[in-house]
Parts: sequence; structure tokens; C-alpha cells
Amino acid sequence: MISQFQFALLIKITVLAFIVGAIALPSMIEMISPFWLLLFFIYWLIYSNSNGFYSSAFVLGILLDVFQGGILGQNALALVISSSFILSVKKSFFVSNLTTQQVYVFIASLIYLIVFLITHIAVQGIQIQWLVLLTPLTGAILWPVVRFLLAKLKH
Amino acid sequence: MRLLKLFVPIFLSISLIVLDARFSYLDNFKRFTLTLLSPIYLVVDLPSQVIDWINDKGTENELLVSKNDYLEGQLIELKAKLQTYNNLTLENQKLSNLLESSYLIPNHNVKLARIKSISQSRLSKKIIINKGSNDGVTLSDLIIGSDGVVGQVTEVTPMYSTVRLLSDPTQHTPVKNARNGIRGITKGLASNERGMILKYIPLESDVKLGDIFMTSGIGNSYPPGYSVGRVRSIDENQDPSFMTVYLEPTQNMNRLELVLIVKEKND
Repeated sequence: MISQFQFALLIKITVLAFIVGAIALPSMIEMISPFWLLLFFIYWLIYSNSNGFYSSAFVLGILLDVFQGGILGQNALALVISSSFILSVKKSFFVSNLTTQQVYVFIASLIYLIVFLITHIAVQGIQIQWLVLLTPLTGAILWPVVRFLLAKLKH
Repeated sequence: MRLLKLFVPIFLSISLIVLDARFSYLDNFKRFTLTLLSPIYLVVDLPSQVIDWINDKGTENELLVSKNDYLEGQLIELKAKLQTYNNLTLENQKLSNLLESSYLIPNHNVKLARIKSISQSRLSKKIIINKGSNDGVTLSDLIIGSDGVVGQVTEVTPMYSTVRLLSDPTQHTPVKNARNGIRGITKGLASNERGMILKYIPLESDVKLGDIFMTSGIGNSYPPGYSVGRVRSIDENQDPSFMTVYLEPTQNMNRLELVLIVKEKND
């Protein structure tokens, strides 16, 4: 069960992730911008002690798919699988220093990207811009900023 | 137990991917959910609306008067051109009657919309416009700019619509060469920001650099006669029987602010 506080935090984080993700940027920057929902959701996973992680990841992924007009289930699948990685290292993540956390975020973003691209290629063929491969790196670089901002939001 | 908890959403996600890619059962669910989420567009768009409002308030009267004069001049010029166009239309109808041709000059309604600065999925080329089902926008409406086709409406909410650009890899547009009527179907290129590709044109076909391709209207997915792209390069070495034609959109998407929604007149 998700407590009321955790649920409220999840809603806030989701809305914020959707807003940040929808801000129009120059196409090159947009291509390499991190998977915002994943970064924000990682924060919630780490600092929340509720259950229902996978169902939350699934629902948020579906909402993102609808919001972005993509293939339904694409972000959901990527977010669920990335979340399972973060949950497997949750204890270590919680006590790690920032650099180690960035490594974990990089791996989670890489898993997200691989799943995302596999589904994209399976449905639409190899139609991608290669800049998108830099996304895990930008995710890891921006993790400290996201963590700082969400900590402010939490309190 | 944990594996089961993980397996269920994975299975559901894969099922949804297959269902969404192959069938259209989920379209109503997507439309309903997008309508619920559309207030987020409003929030994202708020800063640009505030900036527009401040710019409007800060514009000097003198500037507005000179702009108005310029636009009136343009209007007169366009009206004069329209007279010639009307004469040509009548002439064309007469000739069509004489030749017993079934070709009809398209008669369309247009509606003005503004492009909003809202981003969509990074692997697709889409834009959001500020007109939705409340303004009569429907799925598959054609969107044009002053110089040519911009794209096609793919999602509609009451206040906003999503337009898939011509250069999106999943966008297919039936076209014909304006010079000699050679037909084909364009497809966007993911690797190129502005490009489109036209495949399976027989090698001996008369296609030259600079030729304009326009909507052919085949399949009734688009109204005919609007410029789509200009031939940028021709590759005759990819296939022994066909040439591959690369087009660049006639409409420059980068500086686009206002677009027109084209609808067929029902009279």
C-alpha cells in the first residue's frame, strides 16, 4: 500500500516530470535530454518505503505514452524494468555517495533506453537519431540537480 | 512473489504494445486519457503566453499602425491575385466541361491555429496546435503553412491537437509531381531533420532536381494540390529498377508560428 504522503509526493513528482518533459527545447538538446520521468521516479523509489512500485511504474509509463503520443506500453515497459534494477540496488543506492548514485542512474537510464529502442525498432523499424544514445549520460549528469530539487519539493 | 509482481506489469505492457501497434482498440482510451492530461499543456504553455501578452502590451502604437498599413497592402495584393485565380478557375471549369474531365478544383475551408511550444516524444516529429475538437478539428485534418503542407492531425483533445510533421518517419503522404503528374508516397526521414524520401519511382521516370511534389489526394487522406516538397537529390544506385528521390519540405518548419487547418467543404 502507498501511504497518503507517498502518494501525494508521487503525484507531485509525476506532474513535475510531465511538465519538465513537455518544455520545448532545441531539437538537439531535446534529443539528449534525460528521461525525466525515470529520474523523478528513481527519487521516489529510493526515498519511499511503500509497496506497489511496479504498478505505479506501469501506470506512470502508460500516462507518459499517452501524453507523448507514443506507442502505448513503450515507456511503461521501460520504466518497470528500470525500476526493478533500482529496487535491486535500493539499499546500496540509499547509502552511496553521489558519484555511485550517478553510476546507478546511468545503468537504469541505459536499461530504459535499450528497452525503449527495442520496442521502437520492433514496431517502427530502425528510424532513430543516434544522439538519443547520449541520454543515459545526461541523466547521470543531471541526477544531483534532480535529487536536490526533489528534496526541496519533498519538504 | 516479487517476480510475479514484476512479471504482471511487463506482460501487460507487452500486450499493450502489440495491441496498440496492430489494432486501434485503444484509441478511445488514449483520447480520453489525453484529454484528462491536457491541462499540463496549459501549464507548459503559460510562460510563452505571458511573454506574448507582455510583448503585445509593450508594442508601440506607431509600430502597430505601420504593421497594419503593411498588412492592408498585402491584403489588397492578394485580393488582386485572387481575381486572376477566380478567372483561371472559371476558365479551367469551361475547359474541363469541354474535355469531359472529372477533375474538380478543390474547395476547402481553412481555420487559423497557433503552434504551441510543447515538446512531444523525442523519436517522433510532432507539434501541438492551440485548436482542438471544440474548434471543429478532427483526426486526419491537413495542416498547412504559407509555403506548403506541415503535417496531419493525429490526436485531438478539446483545446489542443497534435500534428505529425511530414518529416516524421511514420508519416506517409501520397504525392504527385506538379510538372508531369508522376505519383509516389513520401516518408519522413528520422536521420534528417528536414528530409523526406520518395521510393519506388521507376528508373526511367522524368524527375529533375527542383521539381515540386504536391498532395495527390489519392486515398482521400489529404486534399489534393498542396505543395509537399522540392526534389533535393536523386539516387539511382540504391536499386537496379527504381530511383530514390530525396525531398525537402517546401514549408520551413523552424520559423513557423501560425498554421492553417484545412477541411473539405461540405456543400
